[in-house]
Amino acid sequence: MKKICLLILSTCILLSCDSDDNTNREPGSLELRFENKIGSENLILGTPFTNSSNEQYVVNELKYIISNITLTRKDGSQFIYPVADSYAVVNEEESSSKMITLTNIDAGTYDRITFGFGVDPTKYPIESGTLNFVPTAEEAGMLWSWSAGYKFIKMEGTYTPENGTESNDFVIHVGSHGANLDNYKEIELAIGEDIKINSATASSKIISFDVSQVFNGANTIRLEDKADIQVDPINAPKIAQNIQAAFSIN
Amino acid sequence: MKKYIYIISIFVFIIGCSSDNDGGESAVDDDYTEIPEEVSNNLLNLQIPSNFPAPTYDISQNPPTEKGFELGKKLFYDGKLSSTGVISCGFCHIQEFSFTHHTHITSHGVNGRIGTRNAQPLQNLAFAQDFNWDGAASFLDAQPIIPITAEDEMNESISNVLRKLQEDENYPILFAQAFGTEGVTSERMFKALSQFMIMMVAGNSKFDKWQRGESVTFTTDEEAGRSIFEAKCSSCHAGTLQTDHSFRNNGLPIDPEFNDIGRERVTGSPEDNRKFKVPSLRNIDTTFPYMHDGRFRTLRDVLDFYTNGMVNSPTLDAQFRNADGTIGLEISNTEKEQLIAFLKTLTDNDFLLDQRFSEF
Ligand code: HEC
Ligand code: HEC
Repeated sequence: MKKICLLILSTCILLSCDSDDNTNREPGSLELRFENKIGSENLILGTPFTNSSNEQYVVNELKYIISNITLTRKDGSQFIYPVADSYAVVNEEESSSKMITLTNIDAGTYDRITFGFGVDPTKYPIESGTLNFVPTAEEAGMLWSWSAGYKFIKMEGTYTPENGTESNDFVIHVGSHGANLDNYKEIELAIGEDIKINSATASSKIISFDVSQVFNGANTIRLEDKADIQVDPINAPKIAQNIQAAFSIN
Repeated sequence: MKKYIYIISIFVFIIGCSSDNDGGESAVDDDYTEIPEEVSNNLLNLQIPSNFPAPTYDISQNPPTEKGFELGKKLFYDGKLSSTGVISCGFCHIQEFSFTHHTHITSHGVNGRIGTRNAQPLQNLAFAQDFNWDGAASFLDAQPIIPITAEDEMNESISNVLRKLQEDENYPILFAQAFGTEGVTSERMFKALSQFMIMMVAGNSKFDKWQRGESVTFTTDEEAGRSIFEAKCSSCHAGTLQTDHSFRNNGLPIDPEFNDIGRERVTGSPEDNRKFKVPSLRNIDTTFPYMHDGRFRTLRDVLDFYTNGMVNSPTLDAQFRNADGTIGLEISNTEKEQLIAFLKTLTDNDFLLDQRFSEF
């Protein structure tokens, strides 16, 4: 009996979807695809690139945390994605992690997307739903276990200084420093052409992260000056600021 | 037309749901954990002594309940939270010593590994601001990540702890009873631990009674000690909880074995080098050894340090620099005895013996 009812129910839903037109008000989904770039090229792990300080660098590992996704309509009204479900680790090495599917988004035409880089440290952990993200972050190596804090980005590799021959390791782990220094950044991107979301359309957007801007953004980071950047109150905020401007959407 | 179909589908849906109750098809889902219905789970009353400040913990986010507290207590005393299955939170945090550990100087974790710091008392955590000696955790709900995952403490991963709890025959039921629905999640584990810990209020010492104007009188020594404390200690060990929640360097010589940089590890700032949280001194008579690395055995040793043992360093707190260029506090022997008499009035035996928190 129950099965049959369900069958009828799903048929009904399917029918109602089929009859879609511009007035479809059923919630829909949006797929965000993260692409890590070096300028306009794709980032390839293990392959050398050059930064503006003429240092050759090879990225061997790149992971970062995305959170707090909000979509804004033309009239300024917003759809806030359930915060506890918004945390994700984007891992260059794992293609499934670069595809974030948001479901059950209120129907509408949206022209802006906002998301967080890292985890907002000012928010109470229960309120912000981060406690269920702990195992994911832990498995991805994104927890500073000695501090109960998150690494917002983990970028590691090797570099050769300008005019140098030997390659050295570099480590960039940026997060917030207790309640002292907040490196969480909010990123707002205008979506070139509006996205319409409802149950009948499968929307998808590519968000690019230009990794080269970690070194050459508003602030220049020269690895020869400091190649081990962890809990670094001088360089970490600079990198976070660079990263804030390194995302784009197309 | 579409509306019509929609209404029908809702209708069908309701029918579909109601057929759940006709009993004919139950007993199908085998791996479904039965939650005994109607388990009462009353809210607990966190009693805040009238001389206390307002809690810093946002209780509305995680109001302690009977079942949540019991679950938290079970977790607190369960070795499952460690990789070897034997080190529980309660192993290092023993109630009769105000939840510290003092057979060892610094803490001992799995396989006898020795940590670098002295286990802190667990008391009045709902009123604290940052956790651990260096403030490495900003919120109590996230603090247990540190001991669970630290190699020389419980050396376990949160995911693995959850797996063990999920596979246990009791925990899934206890989680459901505490939180109303099924699910062993990390959020619930942390919430339950917090519920247990925020109920630990030590606020019934002689000092508290004196502050509340209840009928106690300090002895002459205790009263003399209290005024010396006011004059020489309370700028840092301030107020009802004897802490201004700041991080400071009180001039301990660096221990080369650990070379603990203190708050600097959290902030990365050289100006925080060797600074540690100003600790509350409640139950201080029971929490020896003293300081972040447990280097002093007695309160007398602590006071001798404040008068004669301090070393200079760039981050030494300005209050310890005297006009004549010397460093340290000036306290006579008699005054030291009086101070100790006062510090003993901070012991709350009701708390140390409170059955609600005890393992057995
Ligand atoms: C191996 C011994 C050990 C174990 C096991 C242990 N702790 Fe601790 N605990 C410590 C030490 C040492 C500190 C101080 C740490 C520091 O400052 O780095 C501490 C600090 C704390 C604090 C901070 C108190 C304050 O006032 O800031 C809390 C809360 C705490 N522990 C709770 C727990 C809980 C909950 C567990 C179990 C999940 C646990 N501990 C397991 C040794 C231990
Ligand atoms: C300038 C601030 C300051 C002043 C003044 C001060 N203390 Fe402290 N006290 C601290 C700090 C910081 C610590 C923790 C140091 C550490 O462990 O590295 C501490 C630790 C202690 C401890 C050890 C607590 C424990 O749990 O291990 C005792 C006892 C103590 N102080 C007593 C006193 C007394 C008594 C006085 C007055 C004579 C005093 N303090 C004055 C900052 C201060």
